Amino acid sequence: MEEVINDYISRELVQDASLLPLGNATSLLETGILDSLSLLRLVVFVQQRFGVAVDDVDLVPEHFDSVDAISAYLRSREGGRAGQVVGHG
Amino acid sequence: MGEGAAKVGLARVGRLLRPVETIAYWLVVAPLLALLPAALAYRAACWRGDWTLRYWPEKRCEVVRNLRQVLGEELGQPETERLARDIFRIRTCEVIDLMRLRGRARSLRDLVEIRGGEHLDGALAGGNGAILCSAHFGSYMCAFSLLHAGGFPVTSIGRWWWNYPPGQSSVVRRLWDLIYARRVLRHRQRPNIEPWPGRVQVAVQAAAALRDNGVVTICSDAPPLDAERTRTIKVPFLGRQASLLPGVVTLARLTGAPVLMAFAHRSADYRHQVLEISPPVPMEGGTAAAFGQCVAAMDAAIRANPAEWDFWFEPDDLVRLGLLPGTSPAPAPDDSAGRTGELPQFSR
Repeated sequence: MEEVINDYISRELVQDASLLPLGNATSLLETGILDSLSLLRLVVFVQQRFGVAVDDVDLVPEHFDSVDAISAYLRSREGGRAGQVVGHG
Repeated sequence: MGEGAAKVGLARVGRLLRPVETIAYWLVVAPLLALLPAALAYRAACWRGDWTLRYWPEKRCEVVRNLRQVLGEELGQPETERLARDIFRIRTCEVIDLMRLRGRARSLRDLVEIRGGEHLDGALAGGNGAILCSAHFGSYMCAFSLLHAGGFPVTSIGRWWWNYPPGQSSVVRRLWDLIYARRVLRHRQRPNIEPWPGRVQVAVQAAAALRDNGVVTICSDAPPLDAERTRTIKVPFLGRQASLLPGVVTLARLTGAPVLMAFAHRSADYRHQVLEISPPVPMEGGTAAAFGQCVAAMDAAIRANPAEWDFWFEPDDLVRLGLLPGTSPAPAPDDSAGRTGELPQFSR
């Protein structure tokens, strides 16, 4: 899961090449990678890819501040199911 | 005492009295005027606008200078002076609009003709909601309120300057919540969505409103904050390459919601208005091309009724937009907008 998320963020959301390669613990907010619209893109991506609906109340920095945090959040949402990549695997 | 000294003295008195008069107008005078027949209420508002124009000469000069610098010297002195007078009048009339939102906003609804409502109906029939893209133009917040009062579930994206920075006086915040936000939010489906730096949930909240087949309003002429500069694109706007945020296009593409342009403008009697809603804007092509069409519509609306645009009053905002030369104004401590964001301005 971490690899898929990291790959998506690196390809689609990182605008400053000096931030690559992206570490899984790197803060997406402090580095400016994640803003409002890129978070929406990320949420749409994880919903489609992992089949996890993200509730509005879960839209807090703790859940989306790094690849590790996103993965942990998704796992907590769906238990073991979110660990399985849906779709293109 | 010479004439010059008398003028200086008058200007000093004006500076001292203006904040008091402004608060009195918002808190007492305008609510009372709004109870009068419309013709009388808006005529009185125009008188107050003319009075402000006369006793605030430095702001009048600034507005005239901004108009000529952006719209061009060919505007001519009489036309520029007429526009300046209208700008002061319109700002004052907009306070009356706000006060007439009481109840189900009937007393304002009777004065505003909505054209193109069928486009909004058609857009919502698609089930993905609709984005109404506008500018800080005319009585836009009241116009959105009328749509909500008319049965469209409206949610607005916009910054209310008095909410930030965090150190903002709580008295100021409470005052504007009381006299402005309370009246507007009564006619909204959800709380105002405020895109300040660090509020990463904003677009997802807007997407949620659209997912419920709601109408989300956004003003795409907002001057970018320093934290947003890297995400702006340069687009032709009012004869310059302006720096604007194309978030409306990104939001539309991610949610599938159509974008419609909406502008309200006032008629020559200052009390009647027309709210025009366009058919959906084509979103094909790159972001710049799609957003360029939205900006072209804003440009056309402002050129047709220049006095309706809010930013003539605010040179710092014109600099931020790239319409006036100069360095970007110093950011506020939290890097939020220096002052404005969503109007009203305290000076209205």
